[in-house]
Amino acid sequence: MAGRELEILKGINLEIKSGESVAVVGASGSGKSTLLGLLAGLDEASGGRVIIGGTELGQLDEDGRAAFRAENVGFVFQSFQLLPALTALENVMLPLELKGQQDARAQAGYFLERVGLGSRLDHYPRQMSGGEQQRVAIARAFASRPEILFADEPTGNLDASTGAHVIDLLFELNREHGTTLVLVTHDLKLADRCERRLQLEGGALVAQ
Amino acid sequence: MSMTATRMLARDWRGGELGILVAALVLAVAVVTGISAFTTRLQSALEQESHRFLAADLVVRSGRDIPAQWAGRAESLSLSTARTLSFPSMVYAGDEAMVLASVKAVSGGYPLRGELTFSEQPFGPARPAAGGPAPGTVWLDSRLFALLDVAIGDRVGIGEATFEVVAAARTEPDQAAGFYSMGPRVLMHYDDIPATGVVQPGSRVEYRQLYAGEPAAREAFEAWLKPRLESGQRLLDVEQGQPGIGGALDRAERFLLLAGSLAVVLAGVAIALAARRFSERHTDYVAIMKSLGASSGAINRLYGKSLLILGLVATGLGCVAGWGIQSVFFSLFGDQLPVTPGPAGPRPYAVGFATAFTCLLCFAWPPLRRLGQASPLRVLRRDMPRESRRTLGDYLLGLVAVTALMWWYSGDWRLTGAVLLGLAITIVLGMGLALTLLRGGRLVGMSAGSIWRLALAGLQRRGAANALQVVIFAMAIMLLLVLVLVRTSLIREWQAQLPADTPNHFMLNIAPQEVQDVEQMLRANSVPSEAIYPMIRGRVMSVNGVDLPTREDAGEEGPRQRGANFTWSDTVPAGNKLVAGQWWSAGTGEALVSLEEEFAERLGATVGDRLGLLVGARPLEVTVASVRKLDWQSFQPNFFMVFPPRVLADFQATFMTSFHLDPTEKPFLNEFIRRFPTITVIEMDVVVEQVRAIVDQVSAAIELVLAVILAAGSLVLVAGVQASVDARMHESSILRALGARRNLILGGLAIEFAALGLFAGLLATVAAEFSVYVLQVWVMDMRYVPSPWLWPTGIVLGVVLIAGLGVYSCRKVVASPPLAVLREL
Repeated sequence: MAGRELEILKGINLEIKSGESVAVVGASGSGKSTLLGLLAGLDEASGGRVIIGGTELGQLDEDGRAAFRAENVGFVFQSFQLLPALTALENVMLPLELKGQQDARAQAGYFLERVGLGSRLDHYPRQMSGGEQQRVAIARAFASRPEILFADEPTGNLDASTGAHVIDLLFELNREHGTTLVLVTHDLKLADRCERRLQLEGGALVAQ
Repeated sequence: MSMTATRMLARDWRGGELGILVAALVLAVAVVTGISAFTTRLQSALEQESHRFLAADLVVRSGRDIPAQWAGRAESLSLSTARTLSFPSMVYAGDEAMVLASVKAVSGGYPLRGELTFSEQPFGPARPAAGGPAPGTVWLDSRLFALLDVAIGDRVGIGEATFEVVAAARTEPDQAAGFYSMGPRVLMHYDDIPATGVVQPGSRVEYRQLYAGEPAAREAFEAWLKPRLESGQRLLDVEQGQPGIGGALDRAERFLLLAGSLAVVLAGVAIALAARRFSERHTDYVAIMKSLGASSGAINRLYGKSLLILGLVATGLGCVAGWGIQSVFFSLFGDQLPVTPGPAGPRPYAVGFATAFTCLLCFAWPPLRRLGQASPLRVLRRDMPRESRRTLGDYLLGLVAVTALMWWYSGDWRLTGAVLLGLAITIVLGMGLALTLLRGGRLVGMSAGSIWRLALAGLQRRGAANALQVVIFAMAIMLLLVLVLVRTSLIREWQAQLPADTPNHFMLNIAPQEVQDVEQMLRANSVPSEAIYPMIRGRVMSVNGVDLPTREDAGEEGPRQRGANFTWSDTVPAGNKLVAGQWWSAGTGEALVSLEEEFAERLGATVGDRLGLLVGARPLEVTVASVRKLDWQSFQPNFFMVFPPRVLADFQATFMTSFHLDPTEKPFLNEFIRRFPTITVIEMDVVVEQVRAIVDQVSAAIELVLAVILAAGSLVLVAGVQASVDARMHESSILRALGARRNLILGGLAIEFAALGLFAGLLATVAAEFSVYVLQVWVMDMRYVPSPWLWPTGIVLGVVLIAGLGVYSCRKVVASPPLAVLREL
């Protein structure tokens, strides 16, 4: 963009405890997704610091952050972001293989079973409904047993009942594995299921 | 729908979406227009250059005087005219010295094309002349000064007249005139002929009337003239004036046309790729418009109009750029070309325009048309596949378009056929590869931990898309290889045809008892010469007992009595190739003959036929034992009819040979002619030099065109890589979000692209071999020579180019944060 620099996030200072579940809410354009991208090390901040479990992300180069993500972070995206050329099983195996885990196939199979897709292992994303694809994405997110899970509008592309089912799964797995959850949403009912709520307005944190 | 096409284009332009398509179109039009302008200008220049060999654009040649009103007619059409008359005559000086010279009388205005040169002293530096000798004066061949023992300012006699020697005659543009130019040259003025009294009815003379002017006037005159030509009068154009040059020009022209045709194919592929990417990226856009109530028809109209505007703008820009390309080439390399580039005319722009719109209609429109069918549901479900697969119909349409363009462009179906064959082989093999990749199943497990496995899995996963890409890469590489191969063998063949020691002098009328002395003298002066051939003049009178008609009854063409030079040999003469029948065993006494292919055709005779001959006054009957093909451009002594030695043993023969003489060794001829005054030496050195100059120019032109095509080919490779970048970027950024390292992703991409390049290079090499074979054997009339270097070159080229381009195009994925890439796509 030409012209003036745009400040998207302003003076945000927050701490999330291990195992905590936090909802980031706010209107469209309030900076929710940007904050998530920064927290997850998917994006670089123009200023400030992000420290996860003692590691300052800003100190790492892109490869360092990638290695950090592989080891510690899981994702669920609004638009699923499955690889269209891979089967459900292969999509879930992906983060495990990136970690160099030997039992990737078994692990992936287990998590797909857990999200109720045990019979769809060899199906491709295009053969699945939106809800099913998001369940594959959840299986993928938990398969690498991350310390922290980031979810960006996980129900944004789903109808209400499918969304509810997906969210139930998400929280269920979260409880089982004691994962830290950071969830971006504008759905206040969904936000209520988290232990804490962060309200963003115009890039600033107005309530926590 | 209130939105106008222009407004959409403007928005797309801002969004950067249009850049790819416009760039491809502009480049395609620029390449095609540039090549067309380049070849047109070069061709017209070469044509001018070759007119030099006639000293005119058109020439009428005759053994009798040519009607003066023809020149009048030509002048009324604003053609300029000149006349020449050549005849052998004794030239004398004082009481003693007398030499048989080849006299040429030229009118004012001669030469109409090319350059006449003279020097102020024999063998002095040659200078261009404004015209021939003034009346009353002559120019003598440098050698004649010594032979006649005269100097500048002395007088020499021709027939009943005497002339002042004012200069040495050096070169004439139409010196090539052939075996008529026997003996050293004397140039005089046309108006002085009557005074000499040597030209009488029945004299062995050659009249020429020369015409030159604008092409339209030339054509009008030619049309007027042709029906008025009588037997014995021949109209000469470039081809007939100089068959050696004609052949070289013809091949060069075909090569340039081939290059142009390949540019069309490459352009079509580049546009198709760009349009496909454009439409893929526009699927969302259309889905949104449809969800807002746009009908399929409205969307088709919108994109149709956009395409039209785009086509017009791109054609305009492309024409300007194309003109620029060839202008730059001519200004950069103009010095290397001794010819001045001619005008290009409107054709290049017509070619550019037609190419742009054919490509748009047949390559760009099909994917855009399907945009209208895009589902509005995509607005809600972004994960719906946006790739609209091309149908068989699209490919057929593209094939028809390519064929039509190539045929229109080259006007040669064999050329078109050869290139299409190569493309077909590429496509069939490529599809075979696709099936193998797909059917191979998922043998290679998806294992993202290793670079190799990641790459191989990637290859297999995108089997269909990859195979298409391999085919596209292979097509581009194949076309480049074909061009390089044909260019290489073309230039090599030309050079082989005219090696540095090409015989440039012929020696006729060597008496049998002189043969040894001549050979000795050539050897003593280390003059490289060909074998000495016996030569007997004879005439074919009948075939299989049926008398042939005379020239008066039958005209120039078709079977008639023909005179020919006979020779004898126990072996097939060097450079000759048997095409029918068998060579006789050495020492045979059988009455056999071997005929030159075209001569046999003109006689209507073939192997096994009996020929009735007249040698001197004696009849001889022989049977055709074989038919030979020979290379008339080789400057070696060539014979229409070859006999077993014993058959001609009883006939009186003279001998001939050809040899090479450097310009500095020219004085050797003086000595030679003084010693063997009855031997005729024909100097072809000027012709050989001229042929060599033309070949050099044409070779330079071919190199230049090759450079343009290489640029076009690279464009297709870039477009091909670009086409798959979106998908790969998306995948790579997900991998990165999940924690894959930079080296893993880049390495995987490099291996994947290198593998594609390997397949493409292999395919391209196979297809190129086939096409080159067909091109050389069918189209260029050349010998096929396999090129062992092709295989490693094609494959390495494929791997390095594709891997380099692929990694370069995808470098962004590791250079920017993954979120940015995920959002962008």
